[in-house]
Amino acid sequence: MTRRGSLRAMLQLAVFAIVMFVFVSPASAIPAFARKYSLRCTACHESWPVLNDFGRNFRDNGYQLRLGKDDTVTAEPGYWPVAVHVLPAYQYTKVTNQPTDQGTKTIGSGGVTDASIDLLMAGVLTPNISFLVVPTGFASDGNVHLESYWAYFSRVIQNSDWFNIRAGQFEIDLPASSHRNLELTDSYLLYSYHPSVPGGANIAGYDMGENQRGVEIVGHDRDSQARYTLTVFSAHDSQGSAHGLNSPSFYGHLQKYFRFSDGPVSQAEVGLWGAVANYPTQFLTSGGTPIPGSGSRLQSSTRYGMEANVWLGPLVAPLHLDLVYGHGSDKKELFQSTADRAGTFNGGFLEAIWVPPTNLLHWSVFGRYDMIRNQNQPLVATPSNYNDQDQWTLGMKYTIAYSIRDEVAFHAEISSRKAKGVGDAGLDQRTDNILFGVDFVY
Amino acid sequence: MFHRVRQLIPVFAAVLFAAGSATAAGTGDVKTGKLVYQRYCLSCHGAEGNGQGEAAEYMSVKPRDYRQGTYKWRSTPSGSLPLDSDLEHTLLNGLHGTYMPTWRALDERSRRDVIAYIKTFSPRFATEKPQDPIVIPPDPGYSDASVTRGAAVYKKYNCAQCHGPGGQGDGPSAHELKDDWGNPIVPYDLTKGHVKCGDKSTDIYRVFMTGLAGTPMPTFADSMSSTDAWDLAHFIQSLSPGYAKNMMTTAADRTTRGAQ
Repeated sequence: MTRRGSLRAMLQLAVFAIVMFVFVSPASAIPAFARKYSLRCTACHESWPVLNDFGRNFRDNGYQLRLGKDDTVTAEPGYWPVAVHVLPAYQYTKVTNQPTDQGTKTIGSGGVTDASIDLLMAGVLTPNISFLVVPTGFASDGNVHLESYWAYFSRVIQNSDWFNIRAGQFEIDLPASSHRNLELTDSYLLYSYHPSVPGGANIAGYDMGENQRGVEIVGHDRDSQARYTLTVFSAHDSQGSAHGLNSPSFYGHLQKYFRFSDGPVSQAEVGLWGAVANYPTQFLTSGGTPIPGSGSRLQSSTRYGMEANVWLGPLVAPLHLDLVYGHGSDKKELFQSTADRAGTFNGGFLEAIWVPPTNLLHWSVFGRYDMIRNQNQPLVATPSNYNDQDQWTLGMKYTIAYSIRDEVAFHAEISSRKAKGVGDAGLDQRTDNILFGVDFVY
Repeated sequence: MFHRVRQLIPVFAAVLFAAGSATAAGTGDVKTGKLVYQRYCLSCHGAEGNGQGEAAEYMSVKPRDYRQGTYKWRSTPSGSLPLDSDLEHTLLNGLHGTYMPTWRALDERSRRDVIAYIKTFSPRFATEKPQDPIVIPPDPGYSDASVTRGAAVYKKYNCAQCHGPGGQGDGPSAHELKDDWGNPIVPYDLTKGHVKCGDKSTDIYRVFMTGLAGTPMPTFADSMSSTDAWDLAHFIQSLSPGYAKNMMTTAADRTTRGAQ
């Protein structure tokens, strides 16, 4: 099948699936906060799980509405701070130019995914001390791990919103959340990309979008229209250094929102962000194997950039555009003596979420374009565009039903990523995905 | 591409400028207000605005039925419709101790739109106009003497019949009260630290003079002097250590009830 024919088949399948799911009967089910506060998912989410202004303020306030019903004593007796999230889905993935014994091949395969479960446990222990614990897994491999676990102390100093502390394992406050995005078949390239040497390794491999262990200071104004976060963490993939933190890392984020009471733009936001993760590059060894926790000679992997968000139309049903740009640099020493110089790149993404102004706001349409452009390859001899990447994603979500106790939605998505020169024999490699799923939380 | 990104920065700034230059306040849009209502309000107040949303049956304090146009918190006299600013006051401050949160995080446009939509539930808004707000004389100031006098006013107007001798909402009639819709209603516990309709002395004074429409809390506008009302407001503030220090703050100073 030609590429055009394949795309046509995918689109036909997508249209068929959309038609099928639009006409299924509504279902119902208890996300912890919705049940606790008797609010529907839409109160906090522009389109679940993307937060809107009210949801962002609720999160910044430590999941408290401060109505005298937040903590476990004053909340209604029936409240139990647990919700379950599952996503049964069909996914087809095709990757081009893969090396095989039979030569360079394109391999495509699909099936119903081995779905896992997120147990979302969150709430308020006592006024101004809240928590989140998320065990995830329970798939066929039987593994379960803690995706998140943290405690959040609100208004630590002089009852001010400008000083709150989070401690544990959590997602750092990125310009767009990797855990709260709509796309399911790809990730933000800007967060995960690291320059590389062909066939070699980069010690720094952390994905900023993965949850990190550390301490975060959060400050915001009354309505979360101005925010900052400062985070000290240990990058999640470090082998460990002989320091107080295995991989001492720092992150900062500054945001300011602007609102307009009339006109086509209802809200805009600008922000700056930056991260420095320091990795040990030399280790004591035992039988030639590095001894974990013995690392020294820290070298940095640096990311920084800016962001701009615009909400067009009413905030209740907006076209939300999010533009994020970043520059990255990984020190030469991180490439284990194989590099000539530091690897640097520029990258970013433009994301759009549209909530059509339809009755009960059942629909959302989303898309994203990601791009990575290498600036300096660690090896001078490497082609300058080696592993340059382009990725686009298109999708839609139809919320079949939602209430104060559940949400069930149909999710359809296609995505494609092209990476220069990383396929067999230095060919470009393309990864295409298509996914149809039923996303439900109760 | 990054050259293009740099080129987009002035475009983005121009969009912000253009949008910011068109910030003249307008009236709410009912169509958009319906969407705001569906996103935030429907689960409690119901699609018909009758206070019978899916969450209502689990609530001890029932959500307001908008169809009668009767609102607890108003600046207007008893029997009058509220002003838009009264409805926005409730949106901004919430009602402490109930499930009505502060919607301060919503933008002004959304608040304006949802107020316009909520008013469509009652035909009264199409045929009546709200009366002028009541006049609240200046607060003479919180003092121990005023609190002592206020305790006498509390007794004189038999407030303890519902709110109890200590203001804990446990008076002899407390368990017999019903609202205009026949739902059991409990007198507010004034010792909780926050008064449902506002902690500021003017908020409390206003309740005596306007009453809480739809509830057994009457207006005392015809029988209570302003001096007595101020003393009573100070007495109620004294029932919780938190009130006195909140007394001189303005509503705009507070994020939410409990923020102080």
